[in-house]
Amino acid sequence: MRRIGCLLAAAPEPHMSQALLEVALAHSPWVEEAGPGLVYLDAAGLEGLFGGERQLGDRLSRAAAERGLRAQVGIAGSRLGARVAARSGGGVTLVQPAEDAAYLAPAPLALLDLPEEMAARLERWGIRTLGELAALPSAALFERLGSEGPRLQRLARGEDLRPLIPWAPAPPFEESAECEWGLDTLEPVTMLLADLAEKICARLVRRGLSADGFEWICRLAGRSLHEGSLALAAPMSEASAIAALLRVALESRPPQGVVEAVTLKAHPQRVASAQDSLTGRSRPSPRLVTAALTRLTALVGARQLGIPALLDSHRPDAVRLDPFLHPHPDPLPGRERESESLSPSGGEGRGEGGRKNPAALALRRLRPPCPAHVTLTSGRPVHLRSAALAGRIVTGAGPWRASGEWWTGGPWARDEWDVELADGTVCRLVHDGSAWFLDGIYD
Amino acid sequence: MTLPSESLPPPGWGARGIDGLLGAFPPGQLSEIVGPWSSGGSSLLLALIARVTTSGGKAAVVDGTDAFDPFSAAAAGVDLSGVLWVKCGGRLDPACRAADLLARCPGFALVAMDLGELPLRRRQSLPSSLWLRLRRAVEGSPTILVLRAPQRLAGSAAALVVSARRLEARWMGASQPTRFAGLSSELRLLRARIYPHPHPDPLPPGEGEGTRNPLSPLGRGQGEGRWTIEWRS
Repeated sequence: MRRIGCLLAAAPEPHMSQALLEVALAHSPWVEEAGPGLVYLDAAGLEGLFGGERQLGDRLSRAAAERGLRAQVGIAGSRLGARVAARSGGGVTLVQPAEDAAYLAPAPLALLDLPEEMAARLERWGIRTLGELAALPSAALFERLGSEGPRLQRLARGEDLRPLIPWAPAPPFEESAECEWGLDTLEPVTMLLADLAEKICARLVRRGLSADGFEWICRLAGRSLHEGSLALAAPMSEASAIAALLRVALESRPPQGVVEAVTLKAHPQRVASAQDSLTGRSRPSPRLVTAALTRLTALVGARQLGIPALLDSHRPDAVRLDPFLHPHPDPLPGRERESESLSPSGGEGRGEGGRKNPAALALRRLRPPCPAHVTLTSGRPVHLRSAALAGRIVTGAGPWRASGEWWTGGPWARDEWDVELADGTVCRLVHDGSAWFLDGIYD
Repeated sequence: MTLPSESLPPPGWGARGIDGLLGAFPPGQLSEIVGPWSSGGSSLLLALIARVTTSGGKAAVVDGTDAFDPFSAAAAGVDLSGVLWVKCGGRLDPACRAADLLARCPGFALVAMDLGELPLRRRQSLPSSLWLRLRRAVEGSPTILVLRAPQRLAGSAAALVVSARRLEARWMGASQPTRFAGLSSELRLLRARIYPHPHPDPLPPGEGEGTRNPLSPLGRGQGEGRWTIEWRS
């Protein structure tokens, strides 16, 4: 007799699936991933191990809780029955064998996730519950809806013959090597890493995978560890290119000691192959882009490059750098033409990337702000002296008072002045309550 | 200073506005934007980045002195998700090497190198071969390479040189300024060696080097190589 268990996260999030799958796999050899926060497992024949379905459900629920997940469990004779049972709440819900159809009968039709057109058609027929669909004559349903009709009806009756699609955790793509003699120069270490990378890449290729990052740990003499990582802008599986990038990354931050053992670990990723447009420009090779970005990272440091993202804060210069990913293909010629005709007078910007104000004035920030000596007359700045700029102030507007995050450990407050110097330079001065700073120059 | 009314930019940015200038930055060539601070040079660079990123292209900003302000960029319409910001922290050598790497890297429609507030002595210590090398790096590629600095650095390696000059700052408020409204600046072509078949009619004296192609976006009817722009704060 077929029995299916369902683990349903109370508040599904994409990252939960992995943990739920691991919980399910610890209890059953057949586990299927069905979406964010939804996992099915084969619950048949597990009574001998756990004492019964109730006990199995309780153990699943407890195991999920131990992983910090709030999950509901349902066990029934079909996937749909198990999912509806799990959705009903109450921790663990069991549907007795051969009672799926009766259990599902009052459930709404929406549980089948029907396409809009099919849902509208059944709605017109007055079919609103799974029981009403299950009660329709199969032959007539086939005549009107084709093979999809009887399939849906079987689901509504709790008849689920499709086997579970087994999920298995990805094997660890990790290689290690011990050095008989300690390596005290960089060259043999990079060669060793290249050797390990070649082995890992061969395994990745066999499974049709690529890697979007590598981590290495070098055990040094004296038992200290040197750890490093390499994030690739685009997933790759070419051993020679990866070896070259590992060399660059290692040269930028070499191990400080004699290396006795090396472990290299890859982050595998399945890359969907997609054909670019026939008329579009050719896409740049991920290998070239990744190599350039890795060299760039070695040159300026990983924290010094990325995509700027504005933070949701009023704090001045609240910006973070996100990792830069592989560039998208160049725009199609048609899209280029569309953008060329874009003008503020004639069209609107496209979303966030739209041209909001193409004549916006740029502020060149001084990071960190440059300490300044400002002379005041009647509370207004009249002279500026700093390492970057100096001169008589002829015009100024301010102060613009700003403050925030007083409810946190890092409150800030400042007065801003926009001033024009005698030579025509316009800059922004800031007083943080104790000192003046030159914050930026308008240009 | 009061601007003569005929030199004010037309409303909007139509074909006669600065769009013509932005479209003239040549792919596969090195261009320069020069001019002192508060002359609108950096604003022009942001407008160029906005043009590239809103077209779906990627732009790299090699920021010599970490002066790039993403808030200003967003206000100028830059799609920040299409920008790779490389902060060089005032180090000249990494900035030059980063620009060289990015100029050779496929996938970037624009590489902007901002040498910013580096002392003149350090900027001028850069060998002239560097600019030739950068020019060679982008030659034949669809990448626009732009250098922003207060003074000209690239010399004859630059195919297009735009000079920015500040005209006046505009303030709001009747008796006493209450808010900084923006800047007026004049953009002028100093050099336009960008078209393979130059028109025999050279630029008038004082207009700079090079020749002008009447069929090009920089031909006649575009303000004769001068643009007066009001940058709004």
